[in-house]
Amino acid sequence: MRRKHLLSLFMLSMGVALLVVATTVGVASSATHKVNAAAAKGGILKVNQSAGTFDTLDPQLAYVTNDWNVLDATQLMLLNYPDKSGSAGNVIVPEAAKSYPTISKNGKTYTYHLKKGLRFSDGSKVTAAAFKRAFERILSPKMFAQYGIYDGLDTDLVGGQAFAGTGAFTGKPTTKHISGVKAKGRTLKIHLTKRVPYFTSLLAMQWFGAIKPNMKYTNSKSGILKYPSAGPYYIAANNLNGYTVLKRNKHYHGFRPAFAKEILIHNLTNPDTSMLQIEKNQVDFDMGGVPATYAGKFAKQYGVNKKNGRFHVGVTTCIDWIALNVSRGSTQNTKLRTALNYGLGRNQLINILGPFAGSPADQVLIPGLSGYHKLSLYPNNPNVSKAKSVGGSALSGANLDLYYNGLSQTRTHQAELMQSELTQLGAQVTMDPESTGDYYGPLETKGTKYNVARAGWCADYFDPFDYVNVNFDGRSIQPTGNVDYFYFNNAAFNAKMDKAAAKSGKARATAYAALDKTLMTKYVPLVPYTVDNARYVTSNKVHNWIYSIYFNGPDLNAMKVG
Amino acid sequence: MPLIEVTDLQTRFRTDDGIVKAVSGVSFSLERGETLGVVGESGSGKSVTFLTVMGLLEKTAETSGSVRFDGEEILGLSMARLRRIRGQRMGMIFQDPMTSLNPVKKIGWQLEEAVLLHNDVNRKEARRRSVAILEEVEIPRADTRIDDYPHQFSGGMRQRVMIAMALINNPEILIADEPTTALDVTTQAQILRLMGRLQQEHEMAIVMITHDLGVVAELADEVIVMYGGRVVEQANVDNLFAKAEMPYTWGLLGSLPRLNLETTRLEQIPGQPPSLLHPPTGCAFNPRCAYAFDRCREELPELRPAAQEHAHLFRCHLGDEERARIWAEKKAAFAAAAGSAA
Amino acid sequence: MTAFVIRRLFWAIFLFLVATIAAYVLFFIIPTNPAALAAGKAATPVVVKHISHVMHLDLPIYQQYWLFLWNMVRHGSLGYSFVNQLPVRGLIRQDAPVTMSLVFGGAVFWLALSIPVGIISALRPRSILDRSAMIFVLIGISAHPVWIGLILAYLIGYRLGLTPISNYCPLVPSHSIGVPCSGPLQWFEHMILPWMTFMLLFAALYVRLIRATVIETMSEDFVRTARAKGASSGRVLVQHVLRNSMLPVVTILGMDLGLALGGAVFTETVFSLHGLGQQLITAATSDDLPVVTGILVFACIAVIVFNFIVDVAYAWLDPRIRLTT
Repeated sequence: MRRKHLLSLFMLSMGVALLVVATTVGVASSATHKVNAAAAKGGILKVNQSAGTFDTLDPQLAYVTNDWNVLDATQLMLLNYPDKSGSAGNVIVPEAAKSYPTISKNGKTYTYHLKKGLRFSDGSKVTAAAFKRAFERILSPKMFAQYGIYDGLDTDLVGGQAFAGTGAFTGKPTTKHISGVKAKGRTLKIHLTKRVPYFTSLLAMQWFGAIKPNMKYTNSKSGILKYPSAGPYYIAANNLNGYTVLKRNKHYHGFRPAFAKEILIHNLTNPDTSMLQIEKNQVDFDMGGVPATYAGKFAKQYGVNKKNGRFHVGVTTCIDWIALNVSRGSTQNTKLRTALNYGLGRNQLINILGPFAGSPADQVLIPGLSGYHKLSLYPNNPNVSKAKSVGGSALSGANLDLYYNGLSQTRTHQAELMQSELTQLGAQVTMDPESTGDYYGPLETKGTKYNVARAGWCADYFDPFDYVNVNFDGRSIQPTGNVDYFYFNNAAFNAKMDKAAAKSGKARATAYAALDKTLMTKYVPLVPYTVDNARYVTSNKVHNWIYSIYFNGPDLNAMKVG
Repeated sequence: MPLIEVTDLQTRFRTDDGIVKAVSGVSFSLERGETLGVVGESGSGKSVTFLTVMGLLEKTAETSGSVRFDGEEILGLSMARLRRIRGQRMGMIFQDPMTSLNPVKKIGWQLEEAVLLHNDVNRKEARRRSVAILEEVEIPRADTRIDDYPHQFSGGMRQRVMIAMALINNPEILIADEPTTALDVTTQAQILRLMGRLQQEHEMAIVMITHDLGVVAELADEVIVMYGGRVVEQANVDNLFAKAEMPYTWGLLGSLPRLNLETTRLEQIPGQPPSLLHPPTGCAFNPRCAYAFDRCREELPELRPAAQEHAHLFRCHLGDEERARIWAEKKAAFAAAAGSAA
Repeated sequence: MTAFVIRRLFWAIFLFLVATIAAYVLFFIIPTNPAALAAGKAATPVVVKHISHVMHLDLPIYQQYWLFLWNMVRHGSLGYSFVNQLPVRGLIRQDAPVTMSLVFGGAVFWLALSIPVGIISALRPRSILDRSAMIFVLIGISAHPVWIGLILAYLIGYRLGLTPISNYCPLVPSHSIGVPCSGPLQWFEHMILPWMTFMLLFAALYVRLIRATVIETMSEDFVRTARAKGASSGRVLVQHVLRNSMLPVVTILGMDLGLALGGAVFTETVFSLHGLGQQLITAATSDDLPVVTGILVFACIAVIVFNFIVDVAYAWLDPRIRLTT
C-alpha cells in the first residue's frame, strides 16, 4: 500500500521467513515471557497522534497504518495473528473460525465455520452474515471504498463485478448481493473465479473483520465513526479532531490479551510537546513515532531495544524509493534511470531521516519476502564517475522535474540533496515542491509532469505480488488514483508477472526473484533506497512492547500500562 | 501680615538643552481682599511663578526663595500638607476652559470632588453646595445643568464652572491665569464683572495674571509687570497708569487700543521675548529697547523705587530726568491724538 | 444612550449582511466547482453530484444566497461538513469554547499585565523599570508564539513540572467518554502556558500603547485642574487619568479580540488545543469548504459583535461620543 504511514497487513499462511526480519534489526523487546494475564490487566493507555489524525475508522474504508493500528485492536477476524513478537507471531491461527478454512481441491471455494457464542460489544450475536456484510461494504458502489478493487477483489469473487459494477464504480451494478459470498447461520462459503494462493492471508486484513449485518453504506470520506465491534476493544468515542477512545469489549473471549482497560488516543497533537509528555510519562507513546531530530537523543538516553527499554527501533515492511516517471521527458531513457541508481546516495538520503531510520536497499523485494535474494546491484554511496559513464549523453542533457513534499522538512532536505547530486551528474533540475498537503494526488494522476519523486510502499499483505504486480502492472493505469505512478507498462514484463502470480511454493519464489532482478537491471523504473525502520519512544509505564509488522505499528492490544 | 509674601522666588527647569531660568528672583506681597495684576508676555514667567506658589510644577523643577502664605512657609512643604491648602485656601483657574475640565465626568461630580476633598460632608451636602455655587456664578437652571458634561456648555459657561470649582470652598485667594483670554470680549466683560462681585462677597484676594492691561485697569489694586523671569515694574494701579517708569511698560501702554485715539496703527514693541535658556546679558529687555545704551547690555538694573513714590519700583538704567522727559512726550502724544479725534 | 445603541445595532446588522455576501461570493461563486471542494478529496463524481444538489448549486445565485442567509438566521445553520459528517455549527460549538478560553483568558491576563506596567512606565519614564518594560515589549513583539510556546512548555511544563505540558480540559465538568479531563481547576491549569504564550505579543503592544496614552493624558489641562483642587496623585491617576487614557485602549481591544481569533492558531497548535484556528487549518488543507466558510462567517460575526460592544463601551466611557454620533 501507498507509503503514507506505515501500514501493512498480514503474512502468507505459509509463514515465511518474517523470522529473518524479526531476528535481524530487533523487532522490539520483551514479550516472550509468560504473562500473568489477570495481574497485568487494567490501566489506561494514553496515546498521542502527532502525525495528524485518522482518515477513517470505518473498517471497509481504512487504508493507512494508523487507521489499521486501531482496527487491529477492534476487529474480530476469521483467522488472526497472535500478539507475540518473533516467529511465534507469524503463524496465523483461528480466532472467530473454529479452525482453518476448508479449501476445495480446485482452490476456488473456501468454507469457514464460526465458533459459538461470539458477540459484538453491544451484546448481539456474531454470525456468518457479519463477515458477508464486510465483503459487501468493500465492493458496494454506494461506499467510498475505492481501494478494495485495486487488489482485484471484484474480479476474484464470483458475482463480484455484477455487484460492484464493472470498471471501478463507473459501471452499473446489477445485483444487490454478491452471489459468490454465502452466509448461513455460522457457516461462511466464498466462491472464487480463480485460484488465489494468498486468499486466506487476504482475509486476515482488517477489511474483512466482523461487522454488524445492518451496518450502513456511506459515501462520506470519514465513514461511520462509531459502531459496535466484536474484537478485544470497541470504539467508545471517536472525535477525529479530538479524542478517540477504545474500551475493552467485555463480550470478547478470544485469545487476544486486551491488557489495557481503555486506550485513549489524542489526535492532532503537537509533535514536540508530545515528546516532552512521553519523557515525563504523562503520555505513553506517540503513533507518529519519533521524529528524526529526536532519534539520536533517545537512543543515547534509553539505549536501543533494551529489555523493558523505552526507545524501540523496529523493521517495517515499508520500502522507500525514488520513483522515476518512465513515460515522460528525460526519464524515459533507461540508461539515465540506471545512472541515477549509481548517482543518488542511499546512505545520504537515509541520514537525513535521522539515526536508525532504515537500512539501505537497491531492489524492490525486501528481506523476508518469498523470492528475496540480496542482489547488491548498486552502491550505497554515490559513484559519480560510474553514473556518468552509464548515463552518457542522456544524463548530461537531461531536464529533470524534481517533485517533493514542500510541507515536510525532511522531504525538502532530501529533495535538496538530490538536487545537488543530480546537478553534479550534469542534469538540469527544476525543483517542484507540493505545498497544499496533497502530495500523492498529482503523482497518481496520469500525465503528471514529475520526473523524479520520492515515494514508497508498505505491504498490504506480505507477498511479492503486493510489491511487484500491484506497483508495476501498467494495465492498471487510469486517469487518476494510480498505484503504478511510474507509468511503467511493458507487455513482456506484464506477461512475466502474470505467470509468476499463478505459481506457488518454491516456483513462485524463484519466479519473483527473477522479476526483481529484471526490474532492477533491465527496466529500472525507480531508485529504491531504504527499508524503513519504525522508531518509537514510550513512557516508563509501558511494558510488553510488540511492534507488529503486519500493519507496521505498535500492538495496542498487547501493551501493558502501569 | 500680608496674605501672601513672596521673596526672591527662583524656578529653574532642567531640560536636555540646558537649564531654563523661568523665574529669576520675583518678590511681591498681597494683602487680604486685594487684587494683584500680573502683566507680561508669554514666556515672561508670570504663569510659572504662580504654578510654583501652588506647587503644581513637575518634579524636574528646582525652586528656591520663600513663599509665605498667611505667615507659613509653603515652598518646599510636603505634598500632603500642600494639598490641604490647594483647593481649599488657595484656588486657581486656568486659561483654556475647553480643556481644563475632565471631559468624561459630569460637572456636578467635579464640583463635588472639590468639596469632598476638603470637607467631611456627605454627597448630598456636597451637591447642595455645588448647585449653590453654580447659581452664584450665574449659570441658569443650575440644578439640572449640574448633571451635564463639560462639552454641553459654551466656553463662557465653562469658565464660570471653573470659577465655581475654584471658589466652592471659599478660598482666601484665587489665582486666575489668563481667565478671559480664550473668551470673546462680551463674555470677558461678564466674567470680570462676576469676579469682582465674588471678590466682594467672599472677601478674597485675587491674582489676575494677564497680558491685557485693560483687564488690569479694571480689577487690580496692585500691578507687577514681568519680563524675562523678573519683575521689571511694580506699582499701585493708578500710579502705573499715571506714570510708568520704564520702557517696557511704556511699550505695553502704547500698544493699548484706545477708542478715543485716531491712529492708523497700534504701537508695537519690536522683537521677540527673550530665551530663558540663554538670556541676554545685562537688562533682559535691551535688545528690543529703543533707549538702550551700553550699560544696559552689561549690567542688570536693580529694582529701585521711583523718585516720588517709594512703593513704585522699577528696573531701568535710564536716569530719572530722561525717563520723565520720555514719559511726558508720550503723554503729550496721546493727548494730541485724543484731541484731534475729539 | 439607547438611541446610540440602536443606531449601532442597525450598523452591525448591515455589516453582517455585507460580510455574509462577501463570504458567499468568495466561496460559492468564484470557485469553479464548490461542490467538489465541499465533498473533499477523492470524492467520486456520483458523490459530488449529490452534494451539489444538497448545496442547492443548481438554483439561481440570489436564491442560493437567500437560502444561505435564511439557514443561518432562522436555523442557526452554518452548513454541513461532508468530510466530518457533522453540521458545521456542531464543530464550531465544540471548538469555539477553546478559542474563547484562550482569547478572553489571554485578554484578561494581558490587560492585567500591561495596564500596571504601562502606567508605571508612564509615571516613571526613563527609569530602570520603564527601560526593562520596553525590552520586554521588544521581545514580545518579535518572538514568534510557536517559539515562545515551545520554550515555555519545555521550561515550565517539562523541566520545572509546574504546569501540564499541553492539552485542553473543558471548563464545565464532564464525565463523557473522550473527555479525559475537565472542571475549572484542570481547565485553569492547562490554560496557564497557552495564556502566557498568547498574551505576550498583545501585552507588549498594550504596554506601549498605555504608556503613551497615560503620558499624553497626564499633560492634559484638566489633570492640572484636578491637582489644583488638591487631589492626591493617586486620585488624579485613577479618577482623571485612567478613564481618559483607557479610551483608545478600549477601541483597540475590540479590534484585537476579533483578530485574535486568527492569531490564536499558533498557540493552539503548540499546545494541542483543538480550537477554531486549528480547525480552520485542518479544514483548509483537506478542502473542507463548508467548514472554512462556516468559521469565516463565525469570525465575521464575532468581529462585528466585538466592535459593537466596543462602540457601546466607548460611548459609555466617553459621553462626548454618545451625543455627537
